[in-house]
Amino acid sequence: MIVETQQLPFLEWLQSGPLIWLKVVGTLALAGLVLGYLVAALRNGPVAALGITRRVLFSGVADLVLISPRRVWALTRLAIQDSLRRRVVIVFVVFIVVLSFAAWFLDPGSEHPLRLYISFVLTSTSYLVLLLVLFLSALSLPNDLKAKTLHTIVTKPVRPSEIVLGRMLGFTVVGTLLLVVMGLVSYLFVNRGLAHTHEVVQADLTPVGQAQAPSGGLVPMKGFSSKSHGHRHDVLVDAQGRGRLEMAQDHTHALVCTTSGDEVAYEVGPPEGLLIARVPVYGKLRFVDRERVEKEKGINVGDEWAYRSYIEGGSLAAAIWTFDDVRPEDFPERLQIEMTLGVFRTTMGNIVEGLPGSFLIRNPKTGLTVEARIFKAKEFTTDVQYVPREIAPTNVYYLRRETIAGKEGEEPQVKYVREDADAATADKAQFDLFEDLSDNGRFEVWLQCLAPMQYFGAAQADLYLRASDASFALNFVKGYFGIWMQMVLVIAFGVMFSTFLSGPVAMIATVGALLGGLFRPFMIALATGQTAEGKVFYGGGPVESLIRILTQQNVVTEMEAGLRTTVAQTVDGVLQFLIWVMAQVLPEFGQFGSADYVAYGFNISGAWVAEHGLSTLGFFVALFVVGYFFLKTREVAR
Amino acid sequence: MPNDVVIETRNLTKVYRDFWGRQKVRALKALDLEIRRGEIFGLLGPNGSGKTTTIKLLLGLLFPTSGRALVFGRDATDVTKNERIGYLPEESYLYKFLSAEETLDFYGRLFKMSRRLRRQRTAELIEQVGLVRAKRRQLREYSKGMTRRIGLAQALINDPELILLDEPTTGLDPLGTRDMKQMILDLRDRGKTIVMCSHQLDDVQDVCDRIAILYEGELKELGRVDSLLKVHDVTEIHAKKVSDETQRQIKQLIERDGGELVSMGNPTITLERLFLDIIEESEAHPGRRVRGGREA
Ligand SMILES: Nc1ncnc2c1ncn2[C@@H]1O[C@H](COP(=O)(O)OP(=O)(O)OP(=O)(O)O)[C@@H](O)[C@H]1O
Ligand SMILES: [Mg+2]
Repeated sequence: MIVETQQLPFLEWLQSGPLIWLKVVGTLALAGLVLGYLVAALRNGPVAALGITRRVLFSGVADLVLISPRRVWALTRLAIQDSLRRRVVIVFVVFIVVLSFAAWFLDPGSEHPLRLYISFVLTSTSYLVLLLVLFLSALSLPNDLKAKTLHTIVTKPVRPSEIVLGRMLGFTVVGTLLLVVMGLVSYLFVNRGLAHTHEVVQADLTPVGQAQAPSGGLVPMKGFSSKSHGHRHDVLVDAQGRGRLEMAQDHTHALVCTTSGDEVAYEVGPPEGLLIARVPVYGKLRFVDRERVEKEKGINVGDEWAYRSYIEGGSLAAAIWTFDDVRPEDFPERLQIEMTLGVFRTTMGNIVEGLPGSFLIRNPKTGLTVEARIFKAKEFTTDVQYVPREIAPTNVYYLRRETIAGKEGEEPQVKYVREDADAATADKAQFDLFEDLSDNGRFEVWLQCLAPMQYFGAAQADLYLRASDASFALNFVKGYFGIWMQMVLVIAFGVMFSTFLSGPVAMIATVGALLGGLFRPFMIALATGQTAEGKVFYGGGPVESLIRILTQQNVVTEMEAGLRTTVAQTVDGVLQFLIWVMAQVLPEFGQFGSADYVAYGFNISGAWVAEHGLSTLGFFVALFVVGYFFLKTREVAR
Repeated sequence: MPNDVVIETRNLTKVYRDFWGRQKVRALKALDLEIRRGEIFGLLGPNGSGKTTTIKLLLGLLFPTSGRALVFGRDATDVTKNERIGYLPEESYLYKFLSAEETLDFYGRLFKMSRRLRRQRTAELIEQVGLVRAKRRQLREYSKGMTRRIGLAQALINDPELILLDEPTTGLDPLGTRDMKQMILDLRDRGKTIVMCSHQLDDVQDVCDRIAILYEGELKELGRVDSLLKVHDVTEIHAKKVSDETQRQIKQLIERDGGELVSMGNPTITLERLFLDIIEESEAHPGRRVRGGREA
């Protein structure tokens, strides 16, 4: 899986996320207040409007602060009963039917069975549940208004805030229960669907090397297993009778041989490595060119929008990942490096062999660098390489960082200069990864391509360290948590819109708001003049762009200084802020889904869960307040 | 005295507008009312005269276009006043998927009532409105009259001080109507204030202390029922064994001697007569208050 956007560390996010929330909510509240005042002023005159605004503000604060849990619970229960009356259980039945059909057409012999199964259960669950809560939340209040059952409720001492909250919570409870049950069923379904075993019989095995058994041992054998779930495994058995069924379809099996007289019985274990949650540790990527001058990017091999950037083979050019905070506990024996490199060949070379590459490990503080390992890069598949904790390097030297003057009119540049190690260091046989090569858990992995005329392509997420696996079951739960968050967003938007729109319109508005989230990156780029990847978004704000279009100016030329430009840019400043606020109002709905992580066997980090959980809460609270406000200002009996 | 005023409206006006803010109906025009503790107040008027609109304004279900509605001295849009109010809507707007017991329990939860009190009140009210045998059935299965009864029970769940009844007797059989009227009188005797609107004029005549008659959103008549129905400029004499001669000179004869005077006083008309008179006169002279208020 390609993780294109990097996860901010939680603490860093915590410094910006809530602030953005406050800024947006504050702006909207202020705008609402001003708008409310203007409407009141139009009706009652500017002076009376002040009093009205103040009264509404106070009663609004009271309605939000003095919420009674008892009444909210009563209304939540009502929403649950209402949903059950609408036979939401049908959705569960539909789900079971879908699953039983799926058991039929999901091919367990697929190349990546976990992906297939997980994507299927998570997608079907999310479609069913999201559609269900969309209907429930968008139709409920309008129905109550139409049937006038709301009249009876609002003439009890119930605050509008409690009605809105009761609905939101009620549907959340219903959806959560459904998700829990569907999640359990899905888990069993995936486990049952992927469980299988193979048979290994002596007839399929042939001796390796000489047919003589070493004393006290067995003859090492190799061969293949029986076919099951559409695949076979290669089988290897060593002299101690320990064996493996080699990797096929993302998994292996253990094999145990027992001998009784001449008879050898083989017992195959359950699939291993299939239900996994890898814990990747990502680094930050930069490049050096063939003179070891630091660059943000490598070479572009022609594709304008290339995701990867390339390093030249047979030169000093390297892609450098800096890892932070790598702790020995996570890597007790060795570093497991997993990478999916792009390869660009200018000559055919040996396609089967793979291109040779080399890892250097460098301590960013001392500059001590060891050539740790030479490998052959596989193309198109995830390649696993190991670097032991105690490295016996082929070569040791220092790479010193120096600042050199840039070319004329350019910024100074950073260049790495090789310096031979002193005798004591050079003679040292082994270097400890954590003691010698890391600076408080921080070290650099340099990747070089050793084949001249060929190129390695790398993107930040292409290479990561793999720490010990996390629990798959827990990751599965986190996958469902992603759906749960999406569900909460749908409910919050649905109920909010239904406080002032009719049912079908509220439904469309909800879908619209969530689809609108797709434009969020564009809107933020427009508002901040910078894309999410930190590239410049040329052309300025809306007014400036318009001027550029009308005067046929290039998007990168400076605007002519003058009144016109000042006015345009000031107006743009305001517009851009508004666009920014609008963008923040729309959630990037897809980002809350985490199905891909689970399907591709990647652990969903705690930071991801915490950030998205808090974002969901932020949306929930804000939408609740907006919904409350609309319900409060509407005449229930109209 | 002001403590005794439960409902006060000042210049209360409601204009229904459409989505674009264009005026559709002036449903209520500058209504001034004062309803005191312990009285049964009747709102009368032909269909579409603004009775329901008035009640909804008093409950905060609608916002006044101008003027104010105060209930217990608080603005009608203040939800906390609802602690002391019970409301029976025109039709019973209840959740059809709940049973009578569940309905009362649910509405009880919206008040500060302990579980025990809720149970007790629920049982009492179900008994009182005669739904004991149907208490576990879903409201969707209820007849119109039964729905009305559970509606009333729902309005009384919090033992309210002020009860607003929108046409309480429609849909009830004669027995039910009698029970309802008796219940209204009992509530009054327990010191509750009741505001009701109705088309059943004899019901209103039987129970109401004071009435207001609305016509096209305007207050046409307001006063005590007994004094409104009294015909002031007519004297009625019930006499027996009076000769023709005496009949001709009845005034003198009564003063001087002769027949046996059985009764003497003001005759009353029925409320129905009064109501129709006012409506006819309003139609003939739109916009004029028919008679001066005759508060007792
Ligand atoms: N939601 C509404 N939108 C527009 N006009 C309305 C609305 N509700 C009531 N009206 C109008 O306001 C006027 C008063 O209606 P209201 O319901 O108060 O009458 P009523 O006295 O209760 O009549 P009834 O005896 O039939 O119940 C009527 O002309 C009616 O058409
Ligand atoms: Mg009415």
